[in-house]
Amino acid sequence: MLRRSSLLWLLVPYVLYLGALPLVNRVHPTIFGLPFLLCWLLLATLLTPVAVWLAWRGDRKRGRA
Amino acid sequence: MSGNAAIATSVFGAFMVLTVGLGLLSVRADRGKRGGGLAEWSVGGRSLGTVFIWVLMAGEGYTSFSYLGAAGWGYNYGAPVLYVIAYMSCGYAIGYLVGPMLWGYARQHGLVGIADMVAHRYGRPWLGAVVAVGATVCLLPYIQLQITGMGVVVSTISYGAISINWAYFLAFAVTTGFVVVSGLRGSAWVSVLKDVLVIGTLGFLAFYVPVHYFGGYGNFLDRLVDEKSQWLTFPGHASGGMGQSWFVSTSFLNSLTVVIFPTTVAGYLGARSADTLRRNAIALPLYNVLLLVPMLLGMAALFVVPGLVGADSNLALFRLVIDSLPAWAVGVIGVAAALSSIVPMAVFMLVIGTMWGRSVLGLVPRLAAHQKLGSQVVVVLAGALALLLTYTAPNTLVRLSLISYEGMAQLVPMLLLGLVWRRMTLYGALSGLVVGAALVCALVFTDRDPLWGVNAGLIALAVNLVVALAVSFLGPGDQDDRPDAEVLADVEVPAGEADVTAGTAEGADVVRAAAGADAMETGTGTEGAREGKGGGGPP
Repeated sequence: MLRRSSLLWLLVPYVLYLGALPLVNRVHPTIFGLPFLLCWLLLATLLTPVAVWLAWRGDRKRGRA
Repeated sequence: MSGNAAIATSVFGAFMVLTVGLGLLSVRADRGKRGGGLAEWSVGGRSLGTVFIWVLMAGEGYTSFSYLGAAGWGYNYGAPVLYVIAYMSCGYAIGYLVGPMLWGYARQHGLVGIADMVAHRYGRPWLGAVVAVGATVCLLPYIQLQITGMGVVVSTISYGAISINWAYFLAFAVTTGFVVVSGLRGSAWVSVLKDVLVIGTLGFLAFYVPVHYFGGYGNFLDRLVDEKSQWLTFPGHASGGMGQSWFVSTSFLNSLTVVIFPTTVAGYLGARSADTLRRNAIALPLYNVLLLVPMLLGMAALFVVPGLVGADSNLALFRLVIDSLPAWAVGVIGVAAALSSIVPMAVFMLVIGTMWGRSVLGLVPRLAAHQKLGSQVVVVLAGALALLLTYTAPNTLVRLSLISYEGMAQLVPMLLLGLVWRRMTLYGALSGLVVGAALVCALVFTDRDPLWGVNAGLIALAVNLVVALAVSFLGPGDQDDRPDAEVLADVEVPAGEADVTAGTAEGADVVRAAAGADAMETGTGTEGAREGKGGGGPP
């Protein structure tokens, strides 16, 4: 498992959606009118594919996947 | 029948015919290339590429709940509904690891679902039957939810021309109409139609509704923030205990459950290669952006059609649609929602049939040679049973649905931990499962979910895990002489052989060769002649 440290990227969605919740559970400041919590979760949804892609890239670099 | 009803009903009817046709066509298009064994029907011959797998798995995840429940929760509670996005994203991410692992295990040993995976892991065919029966109890309510969901949608968008009881029957008839014949591949084909319509209609609604009712997004969001701020953070509006700890525990539990959910696993096993699944894990979370649309529209409905209560709030989105759009558009949006019932329902029925055909009926010597036929019969029976219960005793399945997801979660230690950890014993896994499942039932049916603000299923899973570990360490060991490589799954499944040269002309040959090997494994042509456990897959 240690050889696949890039898999730690897969935990990013857990941090964004669940770990960060106490900090982002708020309406203000609004961003482009979007309430802060909604905006944060939208951001997390867009960043999840990036995190999984980084895990995949790590696997590729080692020539395994 | 009014003009509007005639138009919307015609649009709907035409698309339903198209759906069954498309599902059946998928069999024709592929006939002759592979044998017609159980694996061909259950898991699409393990041959679906990245696009089909994406479409199929997105199709499974986006159910009638997305149109009805998501909008209804958004309308009633607000923020708590966001758990759906959270758990799906997290689950898709760890699916990057779990998907290829389960795919490789099933391919190596010629398995078609979680029930026979467990049977193979612990070397006990009866354990597969136990899991199949338990999983069926958890899945039947989902079929009913799709039937009732589609019933409500169809009777609403037909302006009442199609009665709700007929609409229930239509849901059953259309789904059964193609899935019995075309299996997972047919579901994938229908998913293509579904995704085009879902993405198109929700993309349109996301812009149209705020502009039509509020003069633009800025105004809509300003009013939301000013007047409904209670809906915009946890614990939401009058949500009865669905605060932050509920959100975190539920999302976490469901993210573990969704990766072993039998329908998800059917999608995994349908993939052509391990790398197909890895690519899919990257692309799939993007689909979740679409889930935000019905949630937002549900909140928009707060201003337009205030005062919906009970089951009516599930129609929050459709009230807006009927109020603001012409009949043909209502019909098209209704079709998208109906397909969001049909595709998941097809896969639910398919996995029930597969589990019974392989793991229950397969135990009976006289039936073992006819696993595909047996599976197809069970598909019809399971659908018919869910339909019958919808008419006669709807509350039975509604009550069962409360334990569905949390009950299914109790399989996680037995399946996932068991596949990577040899010291997990049969007695350990089984004791954990029994205790966990009993605890879920006890807590849910006595209205103690959430317990202390935490999802009861997660508490049961923790107890399940402790029991499983304790019994494995302290209880009797397994008498199992098979080597680890035979029993455990490979966490580092190499990119599938078909994928090494993917994209080149040579790649296509390898794909065909791999598919051929698979057809051999499942008994080419002759109905399930070699589909028994001893089938022995390619090395």
